[in-house]
Amino acid sequence: MKPAKEIRVGNIIMVDAKPFIVLRSDVNGSSRTGFTYKWKMKNLLTNAPLENVFRGDDKFDVVVLDKKPVTYSYFADPLYVFMDQEYNQYEIEEENLGEALNYLKDGMECEAVFYDGKAISVELPTTIARQIVYSEPAVKGNTSGNVLKDALIENAIEAKRFTVQVPLFVSQDDVIEIDTRTNEYKRIVRN
Amino acid sequence: MTQATSLALFCKVVDNYGDIGICWRFARQLAQEHGIAVTLWVDDLHTFQRICPEVQTGAALQQIGAIAVRHWSTQEGEFAPADIADIVIEFFGCEIPPGYIAAMAACEPRPVWLNLEGLSAEEWVEGCHALPSMHPRFSLTKHFFFPGFTEKTGGLLREAALEEERRQFQSDPAAMAAFLGQFGLTPQEIAARKVTLFCYPHAPVAQLFKAWEEGDEEIACLVPQGVAAQAVHAFLGQAANPGVMRRRGALSVRVLPFVPQQDYDKLLWASDLNFVRGEDSVVRAQWAGKPFIWHIYPQDENLHHKKLRAFLQRYAAGSASLDAFSLHWNGARPQGGAEAADWAALWADLRADITALTQHSIEWQRHMYTLGDLTTNLLKFSSSLR
Repeated sequence: MKPAKEIRVGNIIMVDAKPFIVLRSDVNGSSRTGFTYKWKMKNLLTNAPLENVFRGDDKFDVVVLDKKPVTYSYFADPLYVFMDQEYNQYEIEEENLGEALNYLKDGMECEAVFYDGKAISVELPTTIARQIVYSEPAVKGNTSGNVLKDALIENAIEAKRFTVQVPLFVSQDDVIEIDTRTNEYKRIVRN
Repeated sequence: MTQATSLALFCKVVDNYGDIGICWRFARQLAQEHGIAVTLWVDDLHTFQRICPEVQTGAALQQIGAIAVRHWSTQEGEFAPADIADIVIEFFGCEIPPGYIAAMAACEPRPVWLNLEGLSAEEWVEGCHALPSMHPRFSLTKHFFFPGFTEKTGGLLREAALEEERRQFQSDPAAMAAFLGQFGLTPQEIAARKVTLFCYPHAPVAQLFKAWEEGDEEIACLVPQGVAAQAVHAFLGQAANPGVMRRRGALSVRVLPFVPQQDYDKLLWASDLNFVRGEDSVVRAQWAGKPFIWHIYPQDENLHHKKLRAFLQRYAAGSASLDAFSLHWNGARPQGGAEAADWAALWADLRADITALTQHSIEWQRHMYTLGDLTTNLLKFSSSLR
């Protein structure tokens, strides 16, 4: 059993004996009782979408599914195609990719997650490095890291480019490390 | 759609009087105005007794007026479907006994199960209000119900007769003077600008007292016993017992006894400005039709500042003085404002706007009335689920 606050997008949970994939999780500040987790989910048996809200301490059975290392290969509208080391291809729907879409890059290494023999989502490594394709110019001498600005990061599909908050001293073309659990900047890998 | 006749309300007292204060108010309204048979499960009867003297602290089950009160002393226990109310409410996300939940799952039809959440003006509340929350193991669905300030939320607790009672009281100066007189207020205090002070211990009370003391306007500050104990004790120069009063400069501070909920309302109605704290009293302050300053319940990582700013955005939009005073009162910094609070200046600015703020509080009330009251809204929502 895992509490809601530890469940990530892409996880499969059992609710009333039915498997649901968590497609999106919005965490909201709440009263002193903690945070509220609003999830967009999909029933894996019926494909029916569902929006539910939970407390952080609500506990769920997380289904441990088969996983396999894959790399992102190409987009075959409307499906995203991943390939394993034996060149098997797996098509995954956009809505099942969740936040992995933010980091899509040709050859991106991740793990495909399988339910009942079908690839249903991917799990990213906790830390990922991506180049910044656009950001306002760096502020010389500002290394405080307290003030943040937007930085657009590279993505195999231009329309899916994602913005990360970075310190002012980070520049366009820098490669930065990002925590995929929180989408937060960690450090500069290469200037 | 069938009308519910019974309701179980589970209340865990975390600290202070807000939890049980809200639940008791809510329970009374359910019973008195809607004829619902309410069972109030509460884990702390001693705290409950402070706001409701009839409570027997040793009783496992007791009847107070129309409400059955159960001492919620354990998570153990087995329940049958017949024990389950038509509507089950967990207040502030408290965990109700597993045995009770199992019995809920055995009911046919299932009871309506609600998590009545805390008050927040943040935008995300609208997106979570009335959303389902499926139980991981049972065929049971709980729904989150949020009080709030917009039509996409559940509104605020408000008794049907409250507005008429307030109007009558405020239009009768003799009744107001008699009410204040029972606390020992002198004619000089009654004629002064009357301020009630209800806040958490970390409020900058001493600094505000100094500004008032050195100001050019007579201020009578009424403080319930135990509130801002350190600053009040320092000002009085003696123990802050009910009835103790001291005047220094333009400020008099008087300690009041702990009053029942109905008298607290009258205190708010009879004053010119109310400092309130937490959830219950901030709601009552809004129905008082008087300006108020909210001391919000503190949270880790200053999350409460975010909540306060969201509230001020809705309530105080356009009033820089109320905004600045409220933020500094809560240890937050207004955007572009000074880091250190100049309480004399903050008070002067607020005081200059008091008439406009009083008018605004009446307009705000009108807006809140259009949303209906939380109890009626909650029962309508419950009916839609049955």
